[in-house]
Amino acid sequence: MAGLIKKLFGALVEKPWEKDQVNIDDAHEGSSFSKLSPQVSAVIVIFGVSTVLFSLIVSGYIYTIPSDQDTMFLLQSNLLWFNTFILILVSYLFKKISNDLKFGKLEKIKRNLIQVGGLSYLFLFGQIFFWYHLMSTGKFVSTNSYFSSFYFFTALHGLHLLGGLFFWGSVCSKTLKIEKEKIIEQTKNIEALSLYWTFLLIIWLVFFLIVFVFNDAVIAFCKSLLT
Amino acid sequence: MLDDINKDKKHSSPRTKSSSISGGERDVDYVRPADIPDQELYHGHSFLTKWIFCQDAKVIGVQYTLTAVFTGVVGLILSWMMRMQLGFPELFPFLTAESYYQMVTMHGMIMVVYLLTALFLGGFGNYLIPLMVGARDMVFPYVNMVSFWMFFVAVVVLMASFFVPGGPTGAGWTLYPPQAIIEGTPGSGAGILLMLVSLSLFVIGFTMGGLNYVITILQARTRGMTLMRMPLTIWGIFTATVLALLAFPALFVSAIMMTLDKVLGTSFFMPVMMKAGELLAYDGGSPILFQHLFWFFGHPEVYIVALPAFGIVSDLISVHSRKNIFGYRMMVWAIVGIGALSFFVWAHHMYVSGMSPWFGFFFATTTLIIAVPTALKVYNWILTLWRGNIRINVVMLFCLGFIVTFVNGGITGIFLGNVIVDVPLSDTYFVIAHFHMVMGIAPLMVIFGAIYHWFPLITGRFLDEKLGKLHFWITFLGAYSIYFPMHYLGFIGVPRRYFEMYNSPYMPSTIGMNEFISIAVFVVGAAQFIFFFNVVKSIRLGKPSGKNPWKANSLEWLTPDVPPAHGNWGEKLPVVHRWAYDFSVPGAKEDYIPQTTPPSEVIEAEVEKT
Repeated sequence: MAGLIKKLFGALVEKPWEKDQVNIDDAHEGSSFSKLSPQVSAVIVIFGVSTVLFSLIVSGYIYTIPSDQDTMFLLQSNLLWFNTFILILVSYLFKKISNDLKFGKLEKIKRNLIQVGGLSYLFLFGQIFFWYHLMSTGKFVSTNSYFSSFYFFTALHGLHLLGGLFFWGSVCSKTLKIEKEKIIEQTKNIEALSLYWTFLLIIWLVFFLIVFVFNDAVIAFCKSLLT
Repeated sequence: MLDDINKDKKHSSPRTKSSSISGGERDVDYVRPADIPDQELYHGHSFLTKWIFCQDAKVIGVQYTLTAVFTGVVGLILSWMMRMQLGFPELFPFLTAESYYQMVTMHGMIMVVYLLTALFLGGFGNYLIPLMVGARDMVFPYVNMVSFWMFFVAVVVLMASFFVPGGPTGAGWTLYPPQAIIEGTPGSGAGILLMLVSLSLFVIGFTMGGLNYVITILQARTRGMTLMRMPLTIWGIFTATVLALLAFPALFVSAIMMTLDKVLGTSFFMPVMMKAGELLAYDGGSPILFQHLFWFFGHPEVYIVALPAFGIVSDLISVHSRKNIFGYRMMVWAIVGIGALSFFVWAHHMYVSGMSPWFGFFFATTTLIIAVPTALKVYNWILTLWRGNIRINVVMLFCLGFIVTFVNGGITGIFLGNVIVDVPLSDTYFVIAHFHMVMGIAPLMVIFGAIYHWFPLITGRFLDEKLGKLHFWITFLGAYSIYFPMHYLGFIGVPRRYFEMYNSPYMPSTIGMNEFISIAVFVVGAAQFIFFFNVVKSIRLGKPSGKNPWKANSLEWLTPDVPPAHGNWGEKLPVVHRWAYDFSVPGAKEDYIPQTTPPSEVIEAEVEKT
């Protein structure tokens, strides 16, 4: 982090017209973060934008919690734990893929990539099933601000995951066809996918902790803010 | 070092040939060999892939510009209709209260989002970023193309709202709930839904484009192009894009939430309400939450428009006064500082919403602080002009017009930033005058100046100078004829958004002034067609400009072809040796030194401190 701050703000104090600086600048390769591929850079930017997006939804949730909100509406299901476990498993598989990339274990990479896609679809199916479960018990999107925010957040999270699966499909189809020595061509794409799924996991975990695991504490805290 | 160069002969520039080290001394023209392979581009072959679904950022920039200008003309016509009602009420029976509110709403949203944002970032951003940083194209050309088409669909959806039952939304450009989606407000059915869908599509499309702008600027610059060698145009566009990427999610979230409130009966923004004696199903929502979300987007939006304008005008002033920009580093810091501060001032739009006085104090303070870097920029533009070899051409006229207009609008902004002044002036014509000066006319001055400046690059021909001066003077004087009197109207308490106001005892005194303003609006609007005529005429019949007609230093003027071909740079990417502001350097033979000129070619030139 310190390096990043130095890189970003250190550049702002350069004097491009001075002779010493000219010598340094002429040797500059152009890219500000040469170790990052464009694909990984894109995921980082998306991470930033989506973090703002999801933070605003959570802020809206906190803002609209009525002072008489109690815990009667809280989600009662173990399915969310299962879905969370699946998402953690996907990130673990991506970790394994990253290790396999270093050693060029193509077959393992292919197998794990397929599992990643399958589990991600399973997560989406689990979320939709949970929606169905909620609706069958009379908890609709318009029931109260708690469920409005829950449906809204999970829908957007799911859409982000679907977007990731679109690119996963493209990368996976190419990876399944290539020879071992050409895996290097897909490395940047796979790294970007791995980072993207880590981001989806982080976002989900934060939300899951706020609305499910520590919901009582969060609601009590929000009430204290509102009062 | 030589080994490094030999390893990558394919990608090294001609300059690297002279980078051998002789006698143990460093070669003054040394540049680093290319580490990154050249970008592979998709070259369209059919009309469809070359001009419609094109991946060339320059074509996409022109597509953005044409679409944005089309929406701008619609916005202009709407403003004519509004002024027709305000200046000459009841002259046209079709101008009802409902249609007036719809015109107000659509005019505001079109001008702020679909014209100015799209034109500065989509238009100038796409055309100039790859050229000015020395890249062949954006890093993700396909995503860039999709970005434009998302914008196009957003515009189509917005325009479709004119033709649905009930017409477009008439909720005011801020779309405040609950009235925006409640029956009784014009366009509260399909109109508001199409507006919200259109805004959501716009944000998705912009995010795709913004991703490209940011990563291209950070990661795809050519060798030698450090951040602090970038032209201020790129700094402005870069910072504005970062702001937009962080601010537009607020618009997106609020648009989706309001859509859910309207369609699925959620209560994100809807409190307990009664309609015609009946209790509605809404419960527990907060209209103030929408205001916070909207202005968390809305105030940075001002700088999303202003920062590219700041950057562009800095470059235009420097080129056309043949002087380096005064205080380059300060200008960069000011752009970055204004961008950061713009996220801490949003609630100054909400002083009358009933906020805690302490919040009002906080937001008034941050609002006044943001005036400091802004004023610094104004001083630097003036000091750049000071003792410059100023060319009074159309570009310079628009730049000067921008400075005075921006100062005018900025100063009234300082008035309104103070709670105690804002409260009585809130929702009056003073506010209308302020924001039209500061984020309407001032950025438009820069847009026109920029088009007159870069038209020779895009087409290889000059725009007609005489028509340009006629266009400038009518626009400049006309704009002041419109907005100066509006300040007075605000002071005497004329409220904004009112369809008619002549029953009030003090309103008759404003009739003459309203008529005068309306006539000025018709004239200024018509004057824009002089500009359109000039563009159409000059594309075919304009005087050929040749390469680099303004003798500028930045890379976009140094392409092998004019207009630049797809890929921009022919076989070899340019290599940068200096910043873009070496004008009138003491000792140099010419009064400009392009960014690609190596030190050995201008040994006699002296470094000038700034």
